[in-house]
Amino acid sequence: MNQADLQNESKTSIFRTIWCKPNKVASLNLIRLFGDCIQAASSRTKDYLLFRDPESKFHPSPSTLSEIFLMTYIQRSSQLNLTNIFNCTAMTPEQRILLGAHWVWAVLDHPSKNPRIQIAVQVFHLQEREEENLEELHLDVYSKIMHMAGMEVVNGTQAERMVGFCSSIGRDCYALFLFFGRKNDEGNIYGLLSNNLQAAVGKCVRIDQTFIEHFFKGAKCFVTPSGMLQALVGKEGDDPLTMLVKFT
Amino acid sequence: MDLYGKMATQDNKQKENADQNFDYMFKLLIIGNSSVGKTSFLFRYADDTFTSAFVSTVGIDFKVKTAYKNDKQIKLQIWDTAGQERYRTITTAYYRGAMGFILMYDITNEESFAAVQDWATQIKTYSWDNAQVILAANKCDMEEERIVSVDSGRLLAEQLGFEFFETSAKDNINVKQTFERLVDIICDKMSDTLEADPSVATGGPTSRLTDNPMPPQQSDCGC
Repeated sequence: MNQADLQNESKTSIFRTIWCKPNKVASLNLIRLFGDCIQAASSRTKDYLLFRDPESKFHPSPSTLSEIFLMTYIQRSSQLNLTNIFNCTAMTPEQRILLGAHWVWAVLDHPSKNPRIQIAVQVFHLQEREEENLEELHLDVYSKIMHMAGMEVVNGTQAERMVGFCSSIGRDCYALFLFFGRKNDEGNIYGLLSNNLQAAVGKCVRIDQTFIEHFFKGAKCFVTPSGMLQALVGKEGDDPLTMLVKFT
Repeated sequence: MDLYGKMATQDNKQKENADQNFDYMFKLLIIGNSSVGKTSFLFRYADDTFTSAFVSTVGIDFKVKTAYKNDKQIKLQIWDTAGQERYRTITTAYYRGAMGFILMYDITNEESFAAVQDWATQIKTYSWDNAQVILAANKCDMEEERIVSVDSGRLLAEQLGFEFFETSAKDNINVKQTFERLVDIICDKMSDTLEADPSVATGGPTSRLTDNPMPPQQSDCGC
């Protein structure tokens, strides 16, 4: 390598360093801030999950608990100016029925602000586990909407609709099923994140709360919410990825 | 507690959305590039509200609005589509059975105007032949930032065979008129089709008009 080549190589290296650094800093910043927001949202929700009315008359509804989590998250992420690089879109009631998601997180590309990675979130509650008719009610409303739209009604659970939505976008859209409390552990929040659940669709299994709970059987290792986001941001290629996350 | 009230309201709204009590049902779609103002346009028409905060639509959403024409109740199921390419698989699935489209661009955004032809091709590819289209040039309140002239918009609409409106969701210009005109031309098309081929007349007075490839027509199209 001659002198000129060495100089060029050196210059290229300097430029690479200059260009790369802000992205890495941005990613580290994003992961730290996201962890902070989740910490705030999870710990506040945990307080309410563990709440017991001494007279056993008042029980916060599942939707209230989801809203407490989301409100706390949104409030904290606004305070931290996180929304420019990582946004959170709460779904409308219609979108919740159509797409199965309660909200969608997105890592935004700069400067286009288009989503680069998305996480569609659906919340499961212990209380709802036994309520089969809730799923039927959702399916009934969904069927009526699709029928009015002159579209084919695909019978499926809310979870299956969200998995279908994610797979229609691609491997950079992940489904995250959050459990606000689990059997024998009512105060903690857990999650299953995957971009590969579509593989189970059409294989004689019904993807619902019970099916997803199976992933937690015997599980001892959980990643943190920051670890989860770090894995997604650092991931290259279209490989499948599934992980268990502990939010509290 | 407020939250309970809110959820109850949302539940009622969902029931209303699925309510089957109407004379006619038209499925409409709003399409166009991201950030041209599709969601704002729908909010202005359905709820008469406007917010300048930009929230990119995730996938697809819809609202139901009832319109009245010649004493007939026409239920409009209006689908608001995400403009971003990553949602194309999900949004084009909803083109099926649509009777009308509002194809929107932003007069301050050349790229959104240049994409109109591609959107028109998408309609041809995924929808049925008789779907009616109105080209809406949105954000006409932003005259100082205008890049696409009224004439360019009108000329393109003529070339594509679409009707044309300059609109502003912000200042409520031509929003209602665009929807009303779309309903009118859908009704006109239905009447023409009936006159040309009365054998297509099927269904009772409350039948829906959304099935593919040809929506079932009213036997007495008085709308």
